[in-house]
Amino acid sequence: MSNVKIGDSLKRFEDQRFLTGRGRYVDDINLDGQTRAVVVRSPYAHATIRSIDTAAALAMEGVLLVVTRDDWQREGFKPMPTKSAVKTNADGTPLKEPPRHALAIDRVRYVGEPVALVVAETLSQAQAAAEAVEVDYDELPAVVDPVQALAPGAPQLWDGIPNNLCIDFELGDKAGTDKAFAEADHVVSLDILNNRVTAVPIETRGCVAAHDAGSDRYTLWNASQNVHANRDTFAEVLNIAKEQLDHIAPDVGGGFGAKNSGYPEPVLCLYAARRLGRPVKWINSRSESFLSDTHGRGQTSRVELALTRDGRFLALRTSTVGGIGAYAWTVGPFTPTGGSARTQGGPYHFPAMHYRGRAVFINTAPMDPYRGAGRPEATFQTERIVEYAARTLGFDPVELRRKNLMPPEMLPHKTPMGLDVDSGDFPLLFEETLKMADKADLAALRAKAEGAGRKFGFAIAPYLECTGGGPKEHAGVVFNKDGSIELAVGTSSTGMGHETALAQILAANLGVDVDRIKFRQADTTATPLGGGHGGSRGMEVGGNAVKQAADEIVELAKPVAARLLQSETEEVEFADGQFQAGASSVSMNDVIEASLDSDKLPDGMEPGCLDHSSVFERGVISIPNGVHAAAVEVDPETGVVGFLGYWVMDDFGKIINPMLADGQVMGGVAQGIGQALLEDIVYDPDTGQLVTGSLMDYGLPHADEIPNMEIGYYEGAPTKKNPLGVKGAGEAGCVGACPAAVNAVLDALKDYGVTHIDMPLTPMKVWKAIRAGGKHDPHGLLGDAA
Amino acid sequence: MPEISLTVNGEQITKSVEGRTLLVEFIRETLKLTGTHIGCDTSQCGACTVHLNGKAVKSCTMLAVQADGAEITTIEGLAPDGRLNPMQQAFKDHHGLQCGFCTPGMIMRAMALVAENPEPTETEVRHGLEGNICRCTGYQNIVAAVLDGAKALRS
Repeated sequence: MSNVKIGDSLKRFEDQRFLTGRGRYVDDINLDGQTRAVVVRSPYAHATIRSIDTAAALAMEGVLLVVTRDDWQREGFKPMPTKSAVKTNADGTPLKEPPRHALAIDRVRYVGEPVALVVAETLSQAQAAAEAVEVDYDELPAVVDPVQALAPGAPQLWDGIPNNLCIDFELGDKAGTDKAFAEADHVVSLDILNNRVTAVPIETRGCVAAHDAGSDRYTLWNASQNVHANRDTFAEVLNIAKEQLDHIAPDVGGGFGAKNSGYPEPVLCLYAARRLGRPVKWINSRSESFLSDTHGRGQTSRVELALTRDGRFLALRTSTVGGIGAYAWTVGPFTPTGGSARTQGGPYHFPAMHYRGRAVFINTAPMDPYRGAGRPEATFQTERIVEYAARTLGFDPVELRRKNLMPPEMLPHKTPMGLDVDSGDFPLLFEETLKMADKADLAALRAKAEGAGRKFGFAIAPYLECTGGGPKEHAGVVFNKDGSIELAVGTSSTGMGHETALAQILAANLGVDVDRIKFRQADTTATPLGGGHGGSRGMEVGGNAVKQAADEIVELAKPVAARLLQSETEEVEFADGQFQAGASSVSMNDVIEASLDSDKLPDGMEPGCLDHSSVFERGVISIPNGVHAAAVEVDPETGVVGFLGYWVMDDFGKIINPMLADGQVMGGVAQGIGQALLEDIVYDPDTGQLVTGSLMDYGLPHADEIPNMEIGYYEGAPTKKNPLGVKGAGEAGCVGACPAAVNAVLDALKDYGVTHIDMPLTPMKVWKAIRAGGKHDPHGLLGDAA
Repeated sequence: MPEISLTVNGEQITKSVEGRTLLVEFIRETLKLTGTHIGCDTSQCGACTVHLNGKAVKSCTMLAVQADGAEITTIEGLAPDGRLNPMQQAFKDHHGLQCGFCTPGMIMRAMALVAENPEPTETEVRHGLEGNICRCTGYQNIVAAVLDGAKALRS
């Protein structure tokens, strides 16, 4: 029997090195002969490049190479492709995918776009030389707001792409939705902004690239969440076979989606390493990260809800405009289209829905996944319009939600957005969350807040999620003579704890002690394929790959066990780490040992016969779901918001390791609260300059701004979509948190008539809204553009 | 280049440094103690926190030459034999870390906080950690770890 089982809060193996300063992140890697690279970035949001003069930089001490567009064109390197799962307009025509080169060729289209790469012996030499690269620009007008970018007369980013429109996507039943709206007793309509934010993993992006001329092979150590897909992109750009590039992510200091994409800088470093015949290291500064990391959210939406007189939902209609930056980045066009469409309507029963999403080019850093990528937007759209309907039509917000949740007997159910909702008990989770909040005595919390001159607010926000990311995962297991068991998986932990949880799954399923397992991940030399990290797929796809490998190893081991038991293979059964035949049994440990000893193996079997690799492929995406609730107090004199309580009930299916699941929820909620109250990427509307370009300007939550959360799990409805019965846990926290936080604050402000404030709800915005006395134009963001 | 002498994790060190070298660069590049991390360039994140003469400082906010004669402890100095000290153990027990990148700075700050205030309240811990940013954990488990670590260090 194993010393762990599924469901144990096993402590993490990776912690020992992280706690003692012995983690190995990319900036901790230094190779012999290593050089340092610095990127020359555009200072303009939109400009034509007249000329680039590198002579002065090349003449400086220690400078080895300056890579520019001339190199890129001479070498015939390819643009970086978009891998968006949605590529077709509503009218059937393809989306617009303008060329995205690793270096600007003729024009720059956002502040921070790479224009050249300077490589020198030392970092300070490269930094100094980067200042000396003379680029002559002709500035062009810029547009940073996606709604303005669609308007007639707006600056145009691309020749041949009218109105800056990348894709115009629709999903759902338009005619049925329109009919429901026409016949409804009540219709509410509201424009909402989902503010542009960025992930800010505390480790910035960076890489070390090396090239071996003899074998013409490249090695890239890269702070990546997605080594296989990135490798394929980099190889495609450089016109090399993907087998020529070994892509390895060492310890990665957080990702949250921002390390998912195929970025320009690693490609530039790979090329420079080949040119120089020396390793090239590049580490992004934090200020450059704000300019060059992908952003998330950034949608302006009109959301409309049709109801009956007694508050039954009839239809939901959403039209959203997403600013995807200057290029169709790795999956950028997907988020405001298919990504935000799928979970529209949440866990409520909607007879009809229609969604329109337009992805628009603007002069900003690119849009790509950020924790949730579309599902937080969809949940926010749904929950804001439900709350707004309750407030403006006079329904109780809790009752209105309770009345419209899909009952369990309705499942499985295909939503009007095509989402396959198979399992769950939404009303149960709703009531359990309310019970958790009630235990905290909301009336007493209210009385205390009001006694101190503050306003009390409460909100509850059910959410419906779905997984995503690569559908396939590889798990390879090797048994060593020293007793260790190597497990290599193509997923990529950037902090989630796969080293522990995936080992736990293997150990529990094989019935061996977990301490024997040596884990390897995110390395294209160790795994032939892998889907990396994204879409809450770690346990759903990676975990199931490990389980499948373990189950298949058990079958491979049965003949070995049969020989030890002097029985027939068909008579051997396996449970709890023991092979049993009749009255005699032998442990998996003994079978593994025998499998490495030719004397103990049946004829025809060789030592190492249990070494096995398996590829799991997800059939249908899973549907995590749950409910968040928040209690807040607002100081009307200052607009400052404080949390009095935060409660979460999640249905992630079977929980592998509750401690790790808690960590995912807590971190996700903190990021959601950050977006709701503090975080905002702001560009100057006239110049396109980034205003929030450092941690002094971009408000990340600190320890005294995030509340303690009470978290519960419902495991009564595991999904049958995968053998482990897991639904995915990584993103749900930040799916539920924005609507819970924002609606709680708006509840606190109801005495002032305030019905809506766009995120982030900073003290200034709250204070101003109180003083505006509820004056708000519900169609003030989109006007006629919806 | 100026020469500096200082004690790092109990070891006496004398090195030449460029005048503009930051203390964090000296620790990471010259001494190869890579447990001290760099997460920003404006002294907000606290990933580079070390102890300088017993006080927690962000080692990106000072020059190496300013540390001449000082006594410095980095994360590597807390568990030289690999055995976790009570604060490190509390972080592990409470799942107070995920990606691990802010963790060395967070622990160095937590140790200094507890040295200044051996019996902190939750509010004091949260306030005391304001200079260190974690993007993974939502702080809840870090706060629990620091409270528990403080208790273990008291006993």
